[in-house]
Amino acid sequence: MMAPLRFRGGGFTIQPKRHTGWIAGLAVIAIWQGASSAGWVSPIFLPSPAGIAQALADMALSGQLWRHLAASLKRIVAGFVLGGSAGLAIGLALGLLSHVRAAGLPIISALFPIPKIALLPLFILWFGIGEPSKVATIALGVFFPMAIATYSGVDQVPRTLIRMAQSFDVPALAIVGKVILPGALPGILAGVRISASIGLVLVVAAEMIGAEFGVGAYILTAGNLMRTEDLLAGVCLLSVLGITVGFAVSAAERRLLGWRQ
Amino acid sequence: MRLLSIAAALALLATPALAEKTSLSVLKLASSGPVFLAQDLGHFAAEGLEVEFKFFAAAQPVAVAVVSGDAEFGVTGLTAGFYNLAGKGALKIIAGQSREQPGYKLSAYMVSNQAFAAGVRSPADFGGRSFAMTQVGSTFHYMIGLLAEKKGFDLSKNRLLALQSIPNMVSALQGGQADTAILPSTVAVPMMDRGDAKIVGWAGDETPWQLGALFTSPKMIDTKKATVERFVRAYKKGVAAYDLAFQKKGDQAATDKALDILARYTEQQKGAIAAGLPYIEPEARFSARDIAKQVAYWQAQGQADKSIEAKDIVVTTFVSSID
Repeated sequence: MMAPLRFRGGGFTIQPKRHTGWIAGLAVIAIWQGASSAGWVSPIFLPSPAGIAQALADMALSGQLWRHLAASLKRIVAGFVLGGSAGLAIGLALGLLSHVRAAGLPIISALFPIPKIALLPLFILWFGIGEPSKVATIALGVFFPMAIATYSGVDQVPRTLIRMAQSFDVPALAIVGKVILPGALPGILAGVRISASIGLVLVVAAEMIGAEFGVGAYILTAGNLMRTEDLLAGVCLLSVLGITVGFAVSAAERRLLGWRQ
Repeated sequence: MRLLSIAAALALLATPALAEKTSLSVLKLASSGPVFLAQDLGHFAAEGLEVEFKFFAAAQPVAVAVVSGDAEFGVTGLTAGFYNLAGKGALKIIAGQSREQPGYKLSAYMVSNQAFAAGVRSPADFGGRSFAMTQVGSTFHYMIGLLAEKKGFDLSKNRLLALQSIPNMVSALQGGQADTAILPSTVAVPMMDRGDAKIVGWAGDETPWQLGALFTSPKMIDTKKATVERFVRAYKKGVAAYDLAFQKKGDQAATDKALDILARYTEQQKGAIAAGLPYIEPEARFSARDIAKQVAYWQAQGQADKSIEAKDIVVTTFVSSID
């Protein structure tokens, strides 16, 4: 009689751990604060978490926080909507139309790696130093990853599904709407996740051009004045925006991709 | 004969062995002329110092390099960021560098063609106009503050555009996006020649001030005071050479040679350097009173911490103050 085999599968399955993330984060902050309080870390080189919290509190109390956040959010949303929708449209065209793909892919490959910051003097001449140049910087940064993600998302839709729809004589537009778009959606949402983060990165670059208010302008000014607490406080704001965007995209994924289960 | 050759061999061996290594963070600009002259004419070597230059592109990193310990000395323009670092006990001014001085064409008041046509014809007309500068707390920011004080206009009515770099400022002025700016002569004069903007005056004529300084860390003064003394002695000889070549101008051969040296270190055309040489006090002295005024200005503007004491930033034991 053989003893029943022990279950040996499932060893590396990742389980959701709700508290570990918080505990790890708090532990890092506690160690950092401890090192600062004990005087091991000079405040010139790395300000303490308490100093950064103080800078954030000062900003919130003086009302500057909302002014900076509002100015930046306006630019990010406008740039993301403009660049993202253009990227989506061009990406779909690249994925669906042979001529557009043949002509467009080399152009995109040529333009994508241009650092947007290098173009700032030109942007000032083209768009001025008001809002348009800032929105354009973000829109341009968002456009390319969005176009590429959409294109490869469309490309990865299983050919068999498309051929099946074709053999049932489904009209071309309906195939795009009912087969290709839903099939490409995971890729498109991954593109949204990446390009939204790139929008946050670029808000600092965009606000290099004569911005009085905005999280990026605040970070730049703090850096120029060597106020390291304020600088890291601004960086924290960007991180919080990044986490918020991440949550929003995850929620959208759960909602829009529920059909996959 | 044999004794002589031994002595010669010893001298050869001794010189490099005695040379103490030190480092200086610096900009490739004509205002750094004295250190280039001191290096090339052998004044540092004569003090037994082997100085390694660390070149940067902006004033801020020059100061940061001294704080981080990447360089033992630094020489550059004084900004609000510099004072915030110095106020935390990280930097001390030990000698003077460039000054804005009447007759020296270092920083130009510039007006866009559009604003010029609209009647901005002199620095007195700068009130209420948009003004392009590199950064908040920069030397350009201070100079427009000084101008506002002198001409009696309210700076808060000017739109101050921090554009982060000089190319961006040039672009904004060319396109008429900014009405006014202050630019270094090396940039301003070619712009005027191309007809891209108008020069309406020079900061040195309107608002003289202590623009640059030589500085080091308090740790250097505490632990290697002799090195600092030797460095400053050699620096003063470099300043004297600069003064002789460009300010006293008695000896044409010395002027030509100094210009050659500056052209080599700054990698700029000799003509452009000669046109925009700053004034440097012949004995490398600085104005402690002017430093205090700058600190007070930035504090009043909210750009520098209130806790900074100007007297803690300057050290007058190596070079005395003018006032």
